[in-house]
Amino acid sequence: MKTLQNRREFLKKTSAATLATLGMGAPLAGLLSSCETKIPATADSVILLFMAGGMAHTETFDPKKHTAFRKGMEAKEVLSTFPAIPTKLDGIQFSEGLENIASVLDKGTLIRSYQAADLGHILHTRHQYHFHTCYEPPQSVVVPHLGSWIAKEKGALNSVIPPFINIGQRFTVGEAEELKAFHSAGFLGSNYGPFLIPDPSAGLEAVRPPVGMDYKRFESRNKLYNDLIAAGPVGEFGSEYQKESLKQSMEQAYILLNSPEAKAFDLSLEPKESYAKYNTGRFGLGCLLAKRLIDQGARYITVTSEYEPFFGWDTHDNGHTRLKDMKKLIDSPIAQLIKDLDQSGKLERTLVIVASEFSRDMLMEGRPDLKVQDQVEVPDIINDLKNYGMHRHFTDGCSILMFGGGIKRGHVFGKTADERPCKTIENPIKIASIHQTVYHALGIPSDKNYEIEKRPFYTTPDGHGKVEYGLLAKS
Amino acid sequence: MKPKVSSSNNLFYPLKWTMATIGVMMPVISALAETVGSDTPTDFWLWQFFGRLHPMVVHFPISLLIFAGFLELFTLKDFNSKFRPAIQLLVLVGSISTLLSALFGWLHASSEGISGETFDLHQLIGFITSGLAVVLLYFSRKTSQQSLPSTQMIYRMLLFTSGLGIGIAGHLGASLTHGEDFLTEIIPSWDEETEAPESVTINLASFASDLSVEKEIQLVTNVRSVLAHNCYKCHSGAKIEGELRLDEKEYVFAGGENGQIIVPGKPGESELIRRISLSKNHKEVMPAKGKLLKAEEIQLLTLWIEKGAPWPEGVAQQSVYRVAALAPRKPELPPIQPGLEHPIDRLVNKYFQENQLSFGSPVDDRTFLRRIYLDIIGLLPTPKELASFQADRNPQKREIEIQKLLDRTDDYAQHWMTFWNDNLRNDYTGTGYITGGRFAISDWLYTAIRDNKPYNQFIKELLNPSEKSKGFIEGIRWRGTINASQRTELQAAQNVGQVILGLNLKCASCHDSFINDWKLEQAYAFANIFADSTLEVNRCEIPTGKMAKTKILWEELGDIDSLATKAEKLRQLADQLVQPANGRMYRTLVNKVWRQLMGRGIVEPVDEMDNLPWSQDLIDWMAVDFVENGYDIKRLIFQITSSKIYQSPSVSVSSADKLMAEDFKFQGMVRRRITAEQFSDAVSEISAPLFDSVEVKFRPYQLIPEAKSNLGFARASLVANNEFLKSLGRPNREIVSVSRDSQANLLQALELSNGEKLNNSLVKGGEKWASAFGDPKVLAEQLFAKALLRKPNPRELEVARKVLGAKPKAAAVQDLLWVVIMLPEFQLIY
Repeated sequence: MKTLQNRREFLKKTSAATLATLGMGAPLAGLLSSCETKIPATADSVILLFMAGGMAHTETFDPKKHTAFRKGMEAKEVLSTFPAIPTKLDGIQFSEGLENIASVLDKGTLIRSYQAADLGHILHTRHQYHFHTCYEPPQSVVVPHLGSWIAKEKGALNSVIPPFINIGQRFTVGEAEELKAFHSAGFLGSNYGPFLIPDPSAGLEAVRPPVGMDYKRFESRNKLYNDLIAAGPVGEFGSEYQKESLKQSMEQAYILLNSPEAKAFDLSLEPKESYAKYNTGRFGLGCLLAKRLIDQGARYITVTSEYEPFFGWDTHDNGHTRLKDMKKLIDSPIAQLIKDLDQSGKLERTLVIVASEFSRDMLMEGRPDLKVQDQVEVPDIINDLKNYGMHRHFTDGCSILMFGGGIKRGHVFGKTADERPCKTIENPIKIASIHQTVYHALGIPSDKNYEIEKRPFYTTPDGHGKVEYGLLAKS
Repeated sequence: MKPKVSSSNNLFYPLKWTMATIGVMMPVISALAETVGSDTPTDFWLWQFFGRLHPMVVHFPISLLIFAGFLELFTLKDFNSKFRPAIQLLVLVGSISTLLSALFGWLHASSEGISGETFDLHQLIGFITSGLAVVLLYFSRKTSQQSLPSTQMIYRMLLFTSGLGIGIAGHLGASLTHGEDFLTEIIPSWDEETEAPESVTINLASFASDLSVEKEIQLVTNVRSVLAHNCYKCHSGAKIEGELRLDEKEYVFAGGENGQIIVPGKPGESELIRRISLSKNHKEVMPAKGKLLKAEEIQLLTLWIEKGAPWPEGVAQQSVYRVAALAPRKPELPPIQPGLEHPIDRLVNKYFQENQLSFGSPVDDRTFLRRIYLDIIGLLPTPKELASFQADRNPQKREIEIQKLLDRTDDYAQHWMTFWNDNLRNDYTGTGYITGGRFAISDWLYTAIRDNKPYNQFIKELLNPSEKSKGFIEGIRWRGTINASQRTELQAAQNVGQVILGLNLKCASCHDSFINDWKLEQAYAFANIFADSTLEVNRCEIPTGKMAKTKILWEELGDIDSLATKAEKLRQLADQLVQPANGRMYRTLVNKVWRQLMGRGIVEPVDEMDNLPWSQDLIDWMAVDFVENGYDIKRLIFQITSSKIYQSPSVSVSSADKLMAEDFKFQGMVRRRITAEQFSDAVSEISAPLFDSVEVKFRPYQLIPEAKSNLGFARASLVANNEFLKSLGRPNREIVSVSRDSQANLLQALELSNGEKLNNSLVKGGEKWASAFGDPKVLAEQLFAKALLRKPNPRELEVARKVLGAKPKAAAVQDLLWVVIMLPEFQLIY
């Protein structure tokens, strides 16, 4: 980077000199320098497929030496509990059970060097807060979610589809309050908050007339509303912003609930064959819903495997066994989503991200240089299959997949060590860079900020974090 | 397309030329593509360099070809006019530069990674035009060799088309660089936010002659104020861009990385003036982010430099931000006028007279009763309560009714619980509880509100807490490491500052503030009072090695013993902050209560008490009166609601910004949206209970047996936060919240239109009402009486009867219920 800086500097000077020699004078020099290019967007929409609970990189997209289970094995031998399989890219391997995603890797970029934050102690929701907002909790103001920033800056792509949709997370499970803390538009205003669809198969319920009411009755209720407002004491309340915003919002909601686009939320309309390819459970159906919504012009969607303490990717025991199920849950739907978007041409302008708040390891809690308090007991000698798996939380090397929306195709970024600690050894990338790269792809400048309580508040802390051009196709 | 009419034999030439050109260009382009098109954008700097020349080079074809076309118009009658040689030269250079532009443009796009719809069109038209330019060049030459009219015609067509193409491509290019709204944004009607700028409150003319030292101080103080509000964000101790600081004298005159910014006596040579005077889109304009300086502000800085940039010693002590007085002040009450005996009315009247405003006539009993019910206990009056109030002939009945409501202690407490929960960041569920990093103060708080604990005592118990009230200053502690500026001691300092003292210490918790005068060390000294062991000062998360002092923010209020235990320090803090001498604290409180009842504070925002009040006398008098009469919040509520101004017609405001604007003119109570809790309680009462008993997280009667409510439903202020309440504006109480977002929005409207919670209540309500009333007219009248406190007018009755039919069915009633509670009339306090 240093040399680039110098080169820029040099260019600045030579260009000025050149212009001077050409005798073009100051006005043209001014012209030249004022012509700064706006960021051209390469993506219109984003889908974040979130592997909540900590997805071990060595068990998924960055496999290391496989050691099969045997009684009496030493814990320190184990780097991966699954054998590696080939992917569409030569020399790049995934962990067994991800064959479908492996077959579409040529359509995207695999990041193997994401370093999650060191927050001193592992608490999933705190790291998730950090992942989704780019800020470490607590903060002195309520910080907006990535999706809220995008909703605010880009607006709805289709005016009847809420610009920030969150699929798959229920807020009735453990650490629910901690989850709510970052599913918020914060100071951007609740209008940019997430539209929550905890259960994708019931997605339609969120956008159809209330239970027990058919469309005909719904329409006549709306008519009744307008009739009664018109019949009421007209003008008594004058022109008033609270009144106007209420009427407008109610109208908008009515249009959405009555719109043809709302059918996108109805998974039962999906052809059986396609439905089956996605239907691995709630996560898979979430991917299907995401696809249908993107087709109708959604702006930002999170589909989460759902975070609930000690469930899903949060493997404190039985890691190997449970990961087989987790891979089954995600492999087919993620691959299908990429294929479908690619086929419809939507992938071109849709950035799909597969990520987790951090990775896992069998022995290391935190990161090699900054170990934190162990939360899971791991015996030195493994006799029981339930101890065979990645049960501790590891932050120094995580995998992220990105597809479409201006991301390079068939590219691998970064590298982790092949021996424990399997930490990042090449091209480390942190959350602020990930956020800035996503914003860049959407054409949102890196210094975007709002004045909150009289001070500037940026998309990333103090606007830090560089766009990682190495991930972008055209840069 | 036109050239087709011309003679066939010429037609092939342009084609051949185009092909030839493309043929020649292709290898070059593809060779370049291999070099630049690969992964990294900076493979070969020269291509990038040429690319960046594109914005400059394009101006040649734009001017030359368009001017050629213009001259060509003068030759329409006589092709061989005297302009001909000039045109030929213009066309020659113009065409070549068109080609160069296209080439450079293409390099620019590939090396900088530009794309997008506008760009694609720009590129397409650019390429087509450059193709045309080649053909044009050929025909231009041909016309000089042979004077065939058809050749001339093709040539002219080509010239005009190229000119047009260049014009369009140029415009699109400009849209790319300057933004699509570059032209339109300055057209007045396009920009809705053209509010009249508030001018600098300084009379420039008064500095015309030679300046006394006093005048100089006045001048430079104004200059510093302009710098502070416009430049400190990037050029002060907190953040130093371009190595330039503007917050202290020595730095201002030292300049930045590009040298001095001020040449005393010569504004024309001063970089400062040059940069702030540039146009909005200029790359070097300052401020680079945010609003430009106003003309008056630029004039002020110019004048100051003209005068030799005087900066007498001792100026630094003067604040550049408005600082409200700390001490209490009791202004004389204006004389009583007939009908205006109430002290608040006398003060408001003075304000009205100064601003050519006047009192409206008092609202009717119905409107008044609805207001005080919602404002004091958060509930709607029942039709029966309304009828008996209307029938009452006692001239004192309004005061009596207010007192009656204040005496409904539990209804009152459950309503005001919402306000204090927001302010004190107290909630029944929320982050931190799972790890024992947070403590609720609900029991203490409820009792304190219910018993109308004197406010000084209330604050003392929050600051020097018992186990039951410690939650406020303990803050939220997350597991793991947290930012230094968010450690619990600093959270306490910030929260006490924001909620109790109406000031912002958030900036100063990290670095010297650039929004007020608070310094990092002051914030730490204040936070240190809440610390077990002395804090080390961190500047922007980096330890400075300095240990914090222990001090209250204002020396006037007394000292804190820095060696004392935490308990002792807190005791001292509590005693000293609640002194009557701390006028600021009591102004903050009366202002907040005023805002709750009147819809807009005397100072806004209510946590920035240094801002200008619309009536200094009013806020000062009320604060002192509050202190002199036992710190009694109920008395304060009585005082406000019994005033004539509270009982005047409500005022509508056209936007939220206008409501908060500094030049806001107070005219009376501002119409407000009811809160999530008020709405929920009203729906629970009219339709059916919204919340299950399992959702209730705080049960006052478990604490105080007589607190058992007679209401048939759980009040919203006592239930755990949920999506329904959240969509209606109840905050996540992760941080203190002194005001709510009350404007409707789509997510809220969706929750109201098809949300499960509301719908469940309405289904039950529909059944209840349908079975209770067989007659549609009676049903409609009863519903209007209960929800809107009035009879339906004939048209409304007609609409209602139409939907209800002869014999109201549950579903129809449900729909009518929904419609009524969605009416703005239902959802506003008016």
